Amino acid sequence: MITLRTLTKRFGSTAAVDELTVDIAPGRVTGFLGPNGAGKSTTMRLILGLDRPTAGQALIGGRPYRRLRRPLHEVGALLDARAVHPARSGRAHLSAMAASNGISERRVDEVLATVGLDERAAAKPARAFSLGMGQRLGIAGALLGDPPVLMFDEPVNGLDPDGVRWIRQLARSLAAEGRTVLISSHLMSEMQQTADWLVVLGRGRLIADAPTAQVIADSGVAVRVRSPRPEGLAAVADRLTAAGAVVESAGTDELTVTGTTAERVGELAYELKVPLHELASHEASLERAFMALTADRVEYAARPARTGGASA
Amino acid sequence: MTTIRAEWAKLRSVRSTWWTVVAAVVVMAATAAQVAIYVANGNTNDDPSDDAGVVPLGSVLIDSLELVQYAVLALGLLMITSEFTTGTIRTTLQCTPSRGRVLLAKAAVTATVTFGLGLLLGAVGAAVAGPVLGEWGAAPAAGTLRDVVALAGYLALIGVLALGLGAVLRSAVLTLTVLLAVLMIVPLSLREPDITALNRVADVFPGEAGRHFLAGDGQPYPPAVGLLLLAGWAAVALLAGRAALRRRDA
Repeated sequence: MITLRTLTKRFGSTAAVDELTVDIAPGRVTGFLGPNGAGKSTTMRLILGLDRPTAGQALIGGRPYRRLRRPLHEVGALLDARAVHPARSGRAHLSAMAASNGISERRVDEVLATVGLDERAAAKPARAFSLGMGQRLGIAGALLGDPPVLMFDEPVNGLDPDGVRWIRQLARSLAAEGRTVLISSHLMSEMQQTADWLVVLGRGRLIADAPTAQVIADSGVAVRVRSPRPEGLAAVADRLTAAGAVVESAGTDELTVTGTTAERVGELAYELKVPLHELASHEASLERAFMALTADRVEYAARPARTGGASA
Repeated sequence: MTTIRAEWAKLRSVRSTWWTVVAAVVVMAATAAQVAIYVANGNTNDDPSDDAGVVPLGSVLIDSLELVQYAVLALGLLMITSEFTTGTIRTTLQCTPSRGRVLLAKAAVTATVTFGLGLLLGAVGAAVAGPVLGEWGAAPAAGTLRDVVALAGYLALIGVLALGLGAVLRSAVLTLTVLLAVLMIVPLSLREPDITALNRVADVFPGEAGRHFLAGDGQPYPPAVGLLLLAGWAAVALLAGRAALRRRDA
């Protein structure tokens, strides 16, 4: 169980994590979702005591990380797979970690086998590791102490499809054993297939904390609109935004709208005399849900292109 | 103890550690030979005022430290600065969240390794300088042994000093620069005008304290005070390092 209570981290005047209060429960895979810069990694660093919170606290099984004597037995974390000395072999890296927490060399062999790094690969210096091997080494380190809590920061980065599938199965089996599994990602499609529960972060704030299926359902239907008249489309977009819908532009001739219906968009286009080439409702996906949830949280949110004379 | 084992495992699993040891041995052998040649040649000089007389082997070894100490400093500071450059500090603090424990374990490993290296350097230096000095060298067993142990102790303390400073500054180049200034440049500059007050200030610097401890000259303070001063500098550097590790984000 990971407990965050009004956890806040400021860098200067910007809050990377802003009064985050959430519990990460055991027995399921929790997806930690948010665009790049939303504060996911900072939150994980705060949980591990690497950064000092500006306010609030992060607890693991009720205790702050810096109080743990043998933390590898409590929390396993993959933060940055590149955080290995380039001249040190993968095995020596794990051995040093094991030694620090009184873990046997036999366990090092076990986790190397679990992540699929053979003796020859583990003997190589880390600088010769591929990104995928680095990720596997990082996960081996997380598993060393057989901890009840696991955190993986963007674990599928740089992995081939086999690796991605492997991580997904590993996360599921760890959760099935009753462990707390927190996986961060900006890849919504990946989370849709892996996470039972979603904690969504935007600009350091909690946006959603609900079962994956519910987050998708709540986001409603997305409507796709295509028109050959960019200025007309921009006008439609403005009216929809004013009415509380969330509009994304996909090029100058296409919009995707959530929080409204195809009927409403059609009537609006008729009213504004904008010819439409396509108007279609789409099945909601996590991708879409995520966009809808974080639309007003993203600094670089897509806006419809405004190419002069956008009057109705 | 587990943290010390982990630090030792990290130190010995990187090849650069062993290259540093090899470099230190080579530099020591070369410097000891050179100093011994100077002494021997000085004694065959026709000008009796140049005559150095019979020189104890121990003092030749101590004079040879001037250069080789930087290889030993590198060992100490790389213990921590390499963790910041490679990002392994995050793994280290994940394994051992107590900053004080991490730094103490590193200090124990650094001190042990540099002390052992100091004994080795003393032996290598003696093996090279002894034959070169020939009749102009005196090697009383007890005195030489005491000098070798003292120089090993000196290297262990400046190794720990480098470690503590490295924890504060985080960069190897910056740490080495500051060490160079504190050990040599600043005290030398202070002595330049030969003003008593400035000389007294210079005497307090760690390099000078170490020199007085090793030389056993009793001026301006006995060797034991030099040792204590140097140990004090190392302790302060460690405390500062711990404070920096605690306060700043890794």
